[in-house]
Amino acid sequence: MAAAIAVAAGAPAFAAPPALDSVAPDFALKAVDGRNVRLSEYRGEPVVLHFWASWCGPCRESVAALDALGLSSGTAVLGVSLDGADRSAAIADSMHLRTPTLVDAQQSVARAYDVAKLPLTLLLDAEGHVRASWSGAPADLSALTPQLERLRQD
Amino acid sequence: MKPKPHPLLRVARLLTVLALLASPIAAMPSEGDATGLKTVDQDVQTLKKQLIDLNRDLFKLEEELLYPASTQVAVFLSMNVGTFFALDSVTLKVDDKEVANYLYTEREVQALHRGGVQKLYLGNLKAGSHEIVAFFTGKGPHDRDYRRGTTLKVDKTVGAKYVELRITDREASLQPEFVVRQWE
Repeated sequence: MAAAIAVAAGAPAFAAPPALDSVAPDFALKAVDGRNVRLSEYRGEPVVLHFWASWCGPCRESVAALDALGLSSGTAVLGVSLDGADRSAAIADSMHLRTPTLVDAQQSVARAYDVAKLPLTLLLDAEGHVRASWSGAPADLSALTPQLERLRQD
Repeated sequence: MKPKPHPLLRVARLLTVLALLASPIAAMPSEGDATGLKTVDQDVQTLKKQLIDLNRDLFKLEEELLYPASTQVAVFLSMNVGTFFALDSVTLKVDDKEVANYLYTEREVQALHRGGVQKLYLGNLKAGSHEIVAFFTGKGPHDRDYRRGTTLKVDKTVGAKYVELRITDREASLQPEFVVRQWE
């Protein structure tokens, strides 16, 4: 899978995450704490959806920053780890992540989202439409935060 | 009784009405014309109702086209009490082929506890004998991991076939019970 989902420049050109304004595909995944989480249950509030893996260098920085953003702003931040359950749980534990870490070990959700570059961060509005995305590099918080604030006020 | 127009014809009519309402002339009555505003509001409400009806009709039409009664098989899941079993997921196989794999959130389990019935699978099967296998995973009594499979042989005839998977409590043994029922 590491070959299929490349970090930054090595990604195939044909794959692309959901386009802006499209509805993010719904999914249900198990979180490292054992809960099952379904994306559509977050309808009604903006969501930051973040795909990452332990073998992706820039992901760690991004995961930590988005977790902090989720805690400080009360925003729903869902991290989707492409590692196995044990590894995902170990990383979430070592990084003291407080926002949900979902395990996509089969990478079925990653395929549905055409994740070609990691990290992939999507900002979804209250109706589940993609409003912004950052692929292959950590999300630009200086751009994400004001957009998120606008969505929260809508 | 007046026959209902075809859903596609109704779509065309609704689009025409929507286009008219979207035009500045229709949407902006002259100043102080409260009656005009009221009429527009009534039109919008009527339109909303028509859209809901149309959506329902289109959904039914789609189901009839994609899943005709002669081949239709639907599998539903329900739960009665369920205190001895915390549902986590259900995997459904038809003739040894996985057709559904559903992960339940806490909210969905609560909805089932409140009497909700979930349509787990809708598909087509030829007339004849088929095997439906459901695997339930979750937490059983004493919070132990619990996995149980249940098999049903169905004889598909010309009519639609409905199968209900029901999770109940067996009070005598303090164990969950997985019941499969068929409806014609």
